[in-house]
Amino acid sequence: MSILEVSNIKKNFGNTEVLKDIGFSMEKGDVLSILGSSGSGKTTLLRCLNFLETPDEGIIRVNGETLFDSSDASSLSESEIRKKRLHFGLVFQSFNLFPQYTALENITLAPSLLAKEDPSIDMSSLEDHARALLDQMGLSAKAGNYPHELSGGQQQRVAIARALALKPDILCFDEPTSALDPELTGEVLKVIRELAEKNTTMIIVTHEMGFARDVSDRAIFMDGGVIVEEGPSTQVIDDPKMERTKQFLSYYK
Amino acid sequence: MFLNVTLALLSGFLNTLKLFALTLLFSIPLGLLISFGSMKRLRILKYPVRFFIWVIRGTPLMLQLLVIYYGPGIILRKNIWGSGDTGRFIAALVAFVINYACYFSEIFRGGIQSIPVGQYEAGQVLGMTKSQIFFRVILLQVIKRIIPPMSNEIITLTKDTSLARVIAVYEVIWEGQSFIKSAGIIWPLFYTGVFYLVFSGLLTLLFGLAEKKLGYFETK
Repeated sequence: MSILEVSNIKKNFGNTEVLKDIGFSMEKGDVLSILGSSGSGKTTLLRCLNFLETPDEGIIRVNGETLFDSSDASSLSESEIRKKRLHFGLVFQSFNLFPQYTALENITLAPSLLAKEDPSIDMSSLEDHARALLDQMGLSAKAGNYPHELSGGQQQRVAIARALALKPDILCFDEPTSALDPELTGEVLKVIRELAEKNTTMIIVTHEMGFARDVSDRAIFMDGGVIVEEGPSTQVIDDPKMERTKQFLSYYK
Repeated sequence: MFLNVTLALLSGFLNTLKLFALTLLFSIPLGLLISFGSMKRLRILKYPVRFFIWVIRGTPLMLQLLVIYYGPGIILRKNIWGSGDTGRFIAALVAFVINYACYFSEIFRGGIQSIPVGQYEAGQVLGMTKSQIFFRVILLQVIKRIIPPMSNEIITLTKDTSLARVIAVYEVIWEGQSFIKSAGIIWPLFYTGVFYLVFSGLLTLLFGLAEKKLGYFETK
């Protein structure tokens, strides 16, 4: 069974069709890259998966469980959506750390709020888990620092740890390095690479073609709200079949 | 004489402070409610609230004091404020609370709307509820941002309380002025200014302290 099945996703903003009939699936442990020019709908697709946008049509299934089905008209309550979106984690382009909390508190805030509702979660282990995640990100020395005291690359790594702390089934990245210089980009990509080696299921929207080819199993190329090409990442990036994909990728050579 | 004047002015200033403190106590929560109303997508709520803010901010506070105190008696033929000093004080308090809540609501709206949408979205994807996002993430950032405009408004309120005398609410300047008639001296009037200066000096220190206290983080 696929860990994620997306079918017939459509999304309009006013009269603009941003997503026209998107469908794909991925397996547990897969890394999927989504490529395409700005405005092709990549980010909107990620936002639909994370319930930041509601698709107009389509179905989203995780581990066989239907999270979203546009034909099921029953409007989703806030608490249901909260539960469902925890299948996904999202790392933003602009990090979006909470400025008034330390790196460690940024990671523990959401899990500790959830632990209050669910007594089966052990409150005391949350901090240990958060420290282990910071360690994994190479940031154990920064646990007590506030976001403005960290570099962009460090902030993004804290944001990755924050998303991982909720143990999502699928971790999504929305252009995680677009706000970073090449040096800082390298340290963030290294962390994502390590996650891939640990078989973390990930969807990565990125413009880093070399990285996408190396780290991901499969790649999707989107243009104008549709999937133009889909396949193993080496094939899509090194040897694209479609004219539009070739044209787009030619700018990276 | 100096001691007598000091004691008299002090009792007047106490009433000034009472009006000041009670106005803050009620107008800040009311202002927050009004700011939520003015930000709602629901037009049936948003436009009446914005109209109300326009009327209150667009007319003199002195006029509002008079209308609120005399209006009900003339229209309903009934004094809803109760009799004597207490009744007049309550009427003045109601006018101040409404007036300042409207000004505060616009400061709150500006503060809330200046927080990047990414802060809300980060909270949402982490499974936080709307109220957890507001109280745990947004509010402190808003408070940090609105300290300068709030300190302005609150210092203005200190001095605006003297307007309450138009409906004969006893306060410090009235007390100071009374010495002109009773003793033929003008210096108590200047002395009232010292009370305001000292108090606004204290407020300035307090706001400086709050700003320093929230200086440990930076908002984008």
